[in-house]
Amino acid sequence: MTTVRPSSVLALVACACAWLGAVGCGYIDTSVPPPPLMGPGLPGESSTVLTTARPNLRAALDDFLVRRPEPVQPIEFPHNIHVGKQIACTEYCHESVTTGPVAGLPSVRTCMICHNAIATDRPRIKLITDMRMKGIDLAWQRVYGFPAPSHVKFNHAPHVRAEVSCETCHGPIGQQTVAQRTVDHTMGFCVNCHKEKQASIDCLTCHF
Amino acid sequence: MDRRSFIKLTAVSGTTAALASCGNPENQLVRFVPDEDIVPGQATWKPGVCPLCAAGCGLTVRVMDADKDVVRDGQAGVVKIYAAKKLEGSTDHPVNHGGLCTRGQASIQVTYHPDRITQPLKRSGTRGEAKYEPISWDDAVAELVGRLDALAGAGNQRALALLGQARTGHRGLVVQQFLQHFGAPAPVRWEFFGDDLLRRANALSFGKAQLPTFDLANARFVLSFGADFLGTWNSPVSQSHGYGAMRQGRAGIRGAFVQVEARMSQTGANADQWVPVRPGTDGVLALGLAHLLMAAKVVTPASAARAGALIDGWSDGLPAYSPDAVEKLTGVAAAKVERLARQMADMRPGVAMIGGPALAHTNGLFSALAVNALNGLMGSVDQPGGVSFTPQFDVAAAARATGTAPGAGASLEQWAAGTLAGGSGATQVLLIDGANPVFAAPRAWRVREALEKVPYIVSFGSFLDETSALADLILPDHSFLETWAENVPESGSGVAVATVAPPAMAPLHQTRATVDVLLDAGRRLQKPLNLPWESLEALLGATFAVLPPAAEGGDAWSEAQEKGGWWGALPAALVAAAGAPAASGMTPVAFVEPQFDGDAAQYPLHLLPYASTTFYDGSAAHLPWLQEMPDPLTSAMWSSWVEVNPTTAATLGIRDGDLLEVTSAHGTLQSAAVLTPGIAPDIVAMPMGQGHTQFTRYATGRGENPASLLAPLTEATTGALAWAATRVKVARVGDPDGRLVLFAGGSHEEGRHGPGEEHR
Amino acid sequence: MPRWGMAADLDRCTGCGACVTACHAENNISTVGPYQAMRGRAKHWIRVERYWEGEFPDVRLKFRPVMCMQCGNAPCEPVCPTYASQHTADGLNAQVYNRCIGTRYCANACPYTVRFFDFFNPEWDKPLHLQLNPDVSLREVGVMEKCTFCVQRIKAATIQAKADDVELKDGDIKPACVQSCPAQALVFGDLDDPDSAVSRLSESPRGSKLLEDLGTQPAVTYLSRQTLA
Repeated sequence: MTTVRPSSVLALVACACAWLGAVGCGYIDTSVPPPPLMGPGLPGESSTVLTTARPNLRAALDDFLVRRPEPVQPIEFPHNIHVGKQIACTEYCHESVTTGPVAGLPSVRTCMICHNAIATDRPRIKLITDMRMKGIDLAWQRVYGFPAPSHVKFNHAPHVRAEVSCETCHGPIGQQTVAQRTVDHTMGFCVNCHKEKQASIDCLTCHF
Repeated sequence: MDRRSFIKLTAVSGTTAALASCGNPENQLVRFVPDEDIVPGQATWKPGVCPLCAAGCGLTVRVMDADKDVVRDGQAGVVKIYAAKKLEGSTDHPVNHGGLCTRGQASIQVTYHPDRITQPLKRSGTRGEAKYEPISWDDAVAELVGRLDALAGAGNQRALALLGQARTGHRGLVVQQFLQHFGAPAPVRWEFFGDDLLRRANALSFGKAQLPTFDLANARFVLSFGADFLGTWNSPVSQSHGYGAMRQGRAGIRGAFVQVEARMSQTGANADQWVPVRPGTDGVLALGLAHLLMAAKVVTPASAARAGALIDGWSDGLPAYSPDAVEKLTGVAAAKVERLARQMADMRPGVAMIGGPALAHTNGLFSALAVNALNGLMGSVDQPGGVSFTPQFDVAAAARATGTAPGAGASLEQWAAGTLAGGSGATQVLLIDGANPVFAAPRAWRVREALEKVPYIVSFGSFLDETSALADLILPDHSFLETWAENVPESGSGVAVATVAPPAMAPLHQTRATVDVLLDAGRRLQKPLNLPWESLEALLGATFAVLPPAAEGGDAWSEAQEKGGWWGALPAALVAAAGAPAASGMTPVAFVEPQFDGDAAQYPLHLLPYASTTFYDGSAAHLPWLQEMPDPLTSAMWSSWVEVNPTTAATLGIRDGDLLEVTSAHGTLQSAAVLTPGIAPDIVAMPMGQGHTQFTRYATGRGENPASLLAPLTEATTGALAWAATRVKVARVGDPDGRLVLFAGGSHEEGRHGPGEEHR
Repeated sequence: MPRWGMAADLDRCTGCGACVTACHAENNISTVGPYQAMRGRAKHWIRVERYWEGEFPDVRLKFRPVMCMQCGNAPCEPVCPTYASQHTADGLNAQVYNRCIGTRYCANACPYTVRFFDFFNPEWDKPLHLQLNPDVSLREVGVMEKCTFCVQRIKAATIQAKADDVELKDGDIKPACVQSCPAQALVFGDLDDPDSAVSRLSESPRGSKLLEDLGTQPAVTYLSRQTLA
């Protein structure tokens, strides 16, 4: 019987890794055979798609293991300073929580409402003024949120109306600069409070 | 290095590459500043107008925030916009009463279509190659203006032509005024399923060159000759709304519905009685019923005298249309004719309608006049439960448009023949606005060849299709959600309606509203047209301002923008004239056998290319939801097919799904067979709309186009295409090859299922 | 607690299919394309069935819109190993996507063939994705999906009513199909409210339920199409 040479094993592993990497990074498409290309389209036009498929293997693994990279914000926004000025969470920047599902992350347009006059000499203010002029917006990265496959439909408004304070779920952001993920939004976190407050724990309350 | 080291190296680097080089694209996305403050997650509702057919249903559009991919200064990124998410029928709108048909629901995909033309284009290859390069709007309009100036400079204004769909309302006014003030002939209006024949008949019978409106909700008896009024004909949503009420909207009263046609349409399936009739003989049946009504002492009301006088023998009681004569001509048993007449006499009020295949014959005008006379006799004209005509808002008068009233433009057939003949008046600059005759017109009219002879073609459409692919300059219009949308419905409402809607969202691409482009070009000409309106919005504001407001001291224009339109009782001065007066002294018409193309021995079957519920005439085939929507009668998706009667199929050895060759004297095609009992044995039917050679990724190269088989037969008086007058022969050429995709019956890889079988 | 139900009047239904496209538009149902449609993977949460009777010239064709019956005794519920298919207190058969592991036993058990499996990750050619409804989940490969009676509209209306401190009235909530139907053949509402339109129609002598003898207790009542006397 021939023994398996280590180099063959290594070769096999190498191929497997290369394949995995290639597939994982989307270089090779192993999904269902695509329909034949139809129609000429316009010259230079490329067809991009929105899909629930993850862009690569790493993203899929991250989603599955609920591994979220630490968010890196475009600017070190000081919540503490703004909250210190008595600006409520829902006053300018996250105002739609009182009427709708989404809190929203403010556009640089919102910042400039005050900062086209206030603290205009500070470096960060100069930065955002410059961005506003160039038409580049603040690409905030999500701190709180649920992975797509958990299909959570969280609606802020009923919680705000029920007088659940922002800090309950989002932690002491008023004492932070950029928001830090200090509260772990596990399903248990939500269900426990729902049970306590006698809100519905029917699956369809949040997952539909 | 040796082999071992090389393999080790690849393994290590491969693995590292797999895990490390996959950057998270989201971290690299640039976000641009939105043009306005966007409130996330909350919907607002805005008015809209559906553009996919002439009915002009009012919409409410659900608008929410969305992230749009953009490239700015070479940087790819996203920007928040307000985007239309869902279309609903507008609840108060007098045409659709909150309903919206399947095409209307799908029309939102026009705005977001991946193959939409996003900016002005100039042809860079040879004509027909569909190779274009982008140009700026300034350059594009300058091009157009240059061409028009050249015509005007040479005193050749008549060489400008516009070929497009029938446009009424404000957009129609601007188009007409532009051409008229430039000195060009009236537009060549063309639609495959155009209803000009019916308009002519109504002008003759009732003095109104207009499509009819039916008060089905109050009718007890509805008799339709071939009209697919619940699917595609006239104002389908309005008619469906009335139909539902006719059936179950009145306590204890259920209206009856009889459909007369040779192929069961989606509408016909709902009839209490389905009466097949020989092609082109619907008018005979109508007069047969009139004959019996008269025999039963039903007297022609004075109001119907005009319609009746157009029918030969009317005043004598229509002796030529006895039940036996009718049976001979139509194939409908005399006893059935008598029974129908009895039902009509008993169930009042009743109304008759005619449309679709029944009029698509060389004797179509006779049939239309016959049904009009029948309606007159039934006392249904301008009565509850009957037929009437929607008062039309006279946009031209409200806009104080100047110039003499325009005549009708040439027909497509005339225009093509004239262009091919050449000569001094031949078109040198052609504007294309919402018509695709290269796809659907009979090949014998040689529309494509005529277009190829025109030196310069401009298209305003949003998509490349068979016709616009011949354009030299493309000036893409906004989609209906991105611009001021308006419509003055010709039918479907008891009261006058002027629908209007401000843009529901900002334009996605670098498109421009065609009306504004025309007005702009008009101002830039060396001899400016001096049309008094700055833009479509300004024109709308001007015309709506003269409408009476809802309440004293109100403002009709602001109210209309809120509500999505104006409707109610029009002051007399704002009601448009009825249309061409009837030709007095017209010889009363009698039945003449319809002509068919193709020798009956060689081509034994009649071809019926019908308006598809999903694609209509093919103009909606590019919308993926409609391609995937199962056809109401066959459940077919992404396909075209040939409907064949089972007895005929058995004679020809055809089984369900088999590949057939259908041949006329003008062309041939191959398509899959669908056996259906709802079609006469001597008829085969195909839905219009598939078989595009150029119409976005979803419709190109899909299915077959029955227009390629059509004979150029027309109705003599109006020139209307007799699209149901082509004879064909059918032969089985192969086994099912998977081209027919059905939703019903499970997986169809073999392509067969039993006739009439329904698993799902 | 309401008990949601529907009535479909087959005498009004014209078979036009407006409900089918309205449902796709509202519920982010992806288009599968001809290749997958051939393999029976098109996902029409509501469909129009046709029943042919007779031979030419005595032909009859009847239409019936079929959607998830939200059965009171649903066969799809006891067979799900992860409790992804479950009944809610307000009478809906819930499909909880995040629980679903794609055994497809529920589709197997459903006698109405109204459950659909996502055989592959759906794709939307951009910018068609801008039309997607943010209130409805995007279902990924491996989960079952079906008509929900537009639960997102039910939830939104219920929450708004609570916010405005008003009672929900009959007709306040309309699933997409109900709203779009040109002939107003579909009616939705609370079966436990004796004054609601759907209650009244469900009691009609013309009413019957689809495959009622299987004991599924469908929440949809069909009012039979009439004939000429």
